[in-house]
Amino acid sequence: MSEEHNPEQGNRILEVSLGATTAEGGTRERVYTVGGAGTFPFLGAGPAAGHPPRIALEICDDTRTWSPIVLREVGDLAGDTGAWAAAAETTFGADMVRLFFTSTRQRGFDDFASLGTTMEEVIGATKYPLIVEGSTEPGIDSEVYRRIGEAAEGERILLGTAEADRYRSVAASALAYGHALVAQTPIDINLAKQLNILLHETGLPPERIVIDPYTGTLGYGFEYSYSVMERIRSVALQGDADLARPMISSAIDSLNVKEVREADPETADEVAIRWEFYAAFSALVAGAEIVCVRHPGTVALLREALPALQEGSHPQEEAYGDESA
Amino acid sequence: MTPIDESLISGRERLDEEMAALEGSIGYDETAYALPVTYAVTGMAVHDAGSAREAYAASGSSVLVAGECLAAAGYAAGGEEGEPYTGFVPDTVLRRLGYSLVDGSIAGIGLVAGSPDDADAAAAICREMQEKYLLTFLAGGVIQTLTEAGVKVGLEYRLVPLGSTGMAAIHFADIIARVAMMFGGVQPGDADRLLNYAAERAKAFVIAFPGLEDEEIAVIDGLRVLSIPILTPEGYEGGEWIRVPYLDAVREGMERRGIRVNVVAIPIPMACSPAFEGKSIRKEEMYVEFGGAKAPAFELLRVRPADEVEDGRVEVIGPEVGDLEEGSAVPLAILVDVAGASMKKDYEPVLERRIHTFLNYGEGSWHVAQRDLVWVRLTKDVVRRGVAIADLGRLLASKFRMEFPDLIDAVQVTLVTDRERVEAMLEEARAIYDERDERIAGMKDEDVGTYYSCTLCQTFAPNHVCIITPERPALCGAITWLDAKIAYEIAPAGANQPVEKGELIDPVLGQFEGVNRFVKKASHGAVDRVSLYGMMDEPMTCCGCFECIATILPEVNGIMIVNRDYLGDTPLGMTFSTLAGTIGGGAQTPGFVGISKGYILSDRFLQAENGIERVVWMPSLLKDELKGRLEEKLERMSIPELFDKIADETVAVSIEDLAEFLARVDHPALAMRPLI
Repeated sequence: MSEEHNPEQGNRILEVSLGATTAEGGTRERVYTVGGAGTFPFLGAGPAAGHPPRIALEICDDTRTWSPIVLREVGDLAGDTGAWAAAAETTFGADMVRLFFTSTRQRGFDDFASLGTTMEEVIGATKYPLIVEGSTEPGIDSEVYRRIGEAAEGERILLGTAEADRYRSVAASALAYGHALVAQTPIDINLAKQLNILLHETGLPPERIVIDPYTGTLGYGFEYSYSVMERIRSVALQGDADLARPMISSAIDSLNVKEVREADPETADEVAIRWEFYAAFSALVAGAEIVCVRHPGTVALLREALPALQEGSHPQEEAYGDESA
Repeated sequence: MTPIDESLISGRERLDEEMAALEGSIGYDETAYALPVTYAVTGMAVHDAGSAREAYAASGSSVLVAGECLAAAGYAAGGEEGEPYTGFVPDTVLRRLGYSLVDGSIAGIGLVAGSPDDADAAAAICREMQEKYLLTFLAGGVIQTLTEAGVKVGLEYRLVPLGSTGMAAIHFADIIARVAMMFGGVQPGDADRLLNYAAERAKAFVIAFPGLEDEEIAVIDGLRVLSIPILTPEGYEGGEWIRVPYLDAVREGMERRGIRVNVVAIPIPMACSPAFEGKSIRKEEMYVEFGGAKAPAFELLRVRPADEVEDGRVEVIGPEVGDLEEGSAVPLAILVDVAGASMKKDYEPVLERRIHTFLNYGEGSWHVAQRDLVWVRLTKDVVRRGVAIADLGRLLASKFRMEFPDLIDAVQVTLVTDRERVEAMLEEARAIYDERDERIAGMKDEDVGTYYSCTLCQTFAPNHVCIITPERPALCGAITWLDAKIAYEIAPAGANQPVEKGELIDPVLGQFEGVNRFVKKASHGAVDRVSLYGMMDEPMTCCGCFECIATILPEVNGIMIVNRDYLGDTPLGMTFSTLAGTIGGGAQTPGFVGISKGYILSDRFLQAENGIERVVWMPSLLKDELKGRLEEKLERMSIPELFDKIADETVAVSIEDLAEFLARVDHPALAMRPLI
């Protein structure tokens, strides 16, 4: 609520640009702008509809904790992070890759040099903007985020994840190397707001923050996430400038739930895809600008479903002009 | 002794002369910020002697600009010093340093300049700076002194040897200028922003040893414009340099710039985490206990002047755990002394309450109650593992520093187990408790211009806003006006925000222009106006955490109060939980309001509806709990008989029985103006 409502212009979700072309000091073929909406999602055409949502495919550098269903599906790609990332864009049709440095989440991780190498490899293998997730362990955050940030300098990646009690390294990396960041809070609108304020105090400009309100898995708390996303969008449109940021959603545990893990191998892919799809699809309806999934089949299904939501509201490209550079 | 003032004059003259004599091209490699200080101050990218003089003039003859131009001219002329000196730090390295500053792995930066006579003193200062997570830059003879004394220098040791002369101090300034431009959004040429950034964010200080030349003194003195204090243990007099004994130099520098080191691990032989908060320690598991009515005990947190608090000091007076028999009950005084520039006496009780939380964080320590009623236990298990009474002090000292880094600069804890001493101090402590009670009790709404909000519950009651005043605590009873004030000071972005009450609209309802404005905004437009002292017209919204609900009983023209602990029926025909379900969620429900127990005793209690005199019913549980204080209040109001006229469930659960009872005792509510 740090800014007054301006009835002349209407309130809008801030636009966040991801990726940088060669002209801007990066190597991306295109830049994505997310956000910009002045109304609830999928209500029709026009500039108030904002920029189109983006679908990210999540991959990782250490597959030990990754879903066996996905690993089976991607086969040898799992052993080659660069090739997996390239396939996400070309073969699987994702708008972007979300790379998890799961290696850093192993006990006693200290191979920091590998982070830079893998980061460079994935940058080289991809053309579109990137989302990158680092460590979750305060003891190594500083080193991890510095390495990642440095290796991706100039690319304006979306770097995750800042949380209320450990946001400094992510913010420092975003500031030092020119990236945007994911600010995650546990399904709580007040904490989401507070974290944005804290991040602002580090000097990070608001147009470099994407909110992750945390997405519970379908059947395991998704409804709470849905209503928090809806409320964040709603108060942002009512003039709460601290919450007027695009949102990212990933029902990260979808493939770990009992129903998916114990699914009949014959239909496991189908179950996994459905489980991810309905959460991601609903998150889009709730107002998420970036949705993330892990099964390539889910990307395809979302691609198929999106036009139906956007029917009659295709809008964004005309309204904002060509976004590829 | 070198006189600073005289050195400054001659130093400036020398710099002027050298600037006038400057020739040829000027510049650093490996930076996008030209000559960073000059660029930040003037916006001019200097590349030769002519443009250097132009920038120098544009800067109003800044000594830092002169120092930088001269240093960069030396570079361009190939005068770069080799190993071990780093000279000008390239952008890529600087970006990493800036990263570490923002992310907190470097707490601050220091410059040590000059040529110390005493190598041990210099080494001690540098070691202390390393231990305190500071990044130290070195300029001048100190580098040779340190290396000869066997101290390793280099970026990896967080001791950066900038150059062999004091003039290398200019690189300390160019680092700050670049961090401001890279991280702080300071635009080149915006000197005001640069100075503001430095004042607010540059956690930097200088320690100057003797032996600096006049122009070096001038450049180092120039750093003061960036809000960098210059401390000197020896060798200089006059000017604005601060003289400190060398043992205190680092602490003084850190204090002046508010540099604090985050403590991460608590050095005690038991785990310490909120995970252990809810445990209890049964008699069989207990090794020793303190207080709990079996021995005198109390806890007291006091604000002390900085020079009386030695940070981290823990002392046990009396027997330690090894001297105590298993199963014994022992006296205990927990004395926590804190110091901090922004600490106030008013914070004492709020911080003191945290002793309870913190001691319960210990894996094998347990604490209940407060003040002179405390009861503490230690388990056999942790005592066997070496936990002593002193460890409780270490736990407290660390936790207070960790949880209140912006408030507390130093904490020392004294634990007294000697019976005579505890008993002697108990009287003194009780006098302090009384004094505190009076201070809070005596506070009136009209004494303050600012109330506080609480939106903690917006998580589940999206449009609910509590307004907390000295006479109306939050409806949950957990947050008083002072608590909210402190919470705001501790976490300025948190859920408790200051509310300027603004112009008074209605003194009886307690409506204020500023409060209404705030509530409208914080409730996202859902609530336009709020009466702080009434329940019929625009009452405060309710989240769901209220200690009690006050509702009107139109049949008897009175107010009934029901508390959460009361599970039975009420004359309204609803239990607490049914009632709570109908009024919570952030809605304004005229005739119903969520309140704290403390508010019932306030002079502002629902004054728009005649306050306490209108209350006709409350559960006996609540009545008993409030008894002493309520009787006192009624006595003050000259209506002591009212207490017995307030019905409870033992005399009436139905509205009919209640009406009959009220008529019999002639309750004043019956004669008041109708509520509806």
